Amino acid sequence: MFPYLPKAGNCTWRLRHVPFFILLLLLTGCAATPQTDALLSSESGPEDKEELQSVPFFPQEDYQCGPAALATLLADSGLNVTPDELVPKVYVPERKGSFQVEMLAAARGYGRIPYEIAPELTAVIDEVSAGNPVLVLQNLGPDWFPQWHYAVVVGYDMTQGEFILRSGEIERRETSFKVFENTWRRSKFWGFVLLEPGELPATGSEKPYFLAVSTYMEHAPESDVLKALQAGLRRWPDSKYLLMAVGNLYAQQQKLPEAASAFERVIEVAPDYAPAHNNLAWVLGEQGQVAKAKQHASQAVKLGGRNLPQYKLTLEALNKLKVPDSHRSTNNKE
Amino acid sequence: MLTATMKRYVACALILLFATAGIQASANAAMIGTDQVAQEATVENQRAELQTLFAREDVADQLSAMGVDPAEAQERVAGLSDAEVAQLHGQMEDLPAGAGALGTIALVLLILILLDIAGATDIFPRV
Repeated sequence: MFPYLPKAGNCTWRLRHVPFFILLLLLTGCAATPQTDALLSSESGPEDKEELQSVPFFPQEDYQCGPAALATLLADSGLNVTPDELVPKVYVPERKGSFQVEMLAAARGYGRIPYEIAPELTAVIDEVSAGNPVLVLQNLGPDWFPQWHYAVVVGYDMTQGEFILRSGEIERRETSFKVFENTWRRSKFWGFVLLEPGELPATGSEKPYFLAVSTYMEHAPESDVLKALQAGLRRWPDSKYLLMAVGNLYAQQQKLPEAASAFERVIEVAPDYAPAHNNLAWVLGEQGQVAKAKQHASQAVKLGGRNLPQYKLTLEALNKLKVPDSHRSTNNKE
Repeated sequence: MLTATMKRYVACALILLFATAGIQASANAAMIGTDQVAQEATVENQRAELQTLFAREDVADQLSAMGVDPAEAQERVAGLSDAEVAQLHGQMEDLPAGAGALGTIALVLLILILLDIAGATDIFPRV
């Protein structure tokens, strides 16, 4: 029955100890830390150590590590913000804590773009070494007694194998890579850095950056959004998402030729991406280039997808444009 | 006093009003907006789209039920994206809420329970 246990005799003795082993497992979490192992064994690791000493410290009061950690990041990015003013924005009295999405939303409210980093210790290290403190969610307790906690990673030391955090009431909490990996894993390695519009994270990739900006743009001035999108395009010039967003922004500002060239660029990199054909059709239509517009609208309808009703609408609208519009070019008889 | 149901109807009517106003304002409703591009980019966001129109109001209500000032709650929810609202909706009892250091009472209790389990103490007869 228990092939992995030695034969009889010992068996009862050992079985008696099974509950203790289980208890020990529960208490320790007893989890492997593959990221730490990889990090400490790699030859070509990051810089030896880094500590962002200028990152301010706000000792947490009561259960308010959310406001304290967020204020740390916001103040570091040049804003005059204190934990007290963040309490009404992110603290939930009954839960005695703060939700992750509200931390992100509050940061956006201060004109910063929160970028969620990849779930990797190396991402934390790379951001810190580029000067970006990383706000992380840890669970300091075991899974069965969760102690969710926000802290800010401000440094690391490869030789000691540890991170340096602004954490709770401790200004300089040293946590070994191993312990950090264990406590951070329980939040699915959740952490973010703050970006000023136009600034890029040291790590990361195109799609999460686009998603961060697209959420930010809902309540942000257009000029900041454009800055953020253009910065993204400098690093990821072929990003269809960023190009779409730029095209839409130009279209909204009635900069139709700019919008058209952004959508054309999307079609260059992703010829079968129907939304680009559809939107190009619209801006071409608005510019009176109805024939070309119809081609792209038909292409969008042909490609189909979940937005098909909108593509059909575009094509219908263009088909109604047969009579030359007095606002547009006069001799345009289709 | 408006009942909750009435509030929902009013909210619904307002949403429809704003939605149609938006369509009239921008002649190009058939353009694929950046929000739609974002929705397509993630599974998570697609799920958010399926949420009802009332999720926002629910989340705001729940926040104020959890001790947040009602006006603040409205403002906080307004700052969330649809996907974020969907994450909170109906989950607010269970989601991690980063709180910080262990409360002293909880810590003492935990140690006592552990001691009990280890057989060193016998405060809790059922442990």
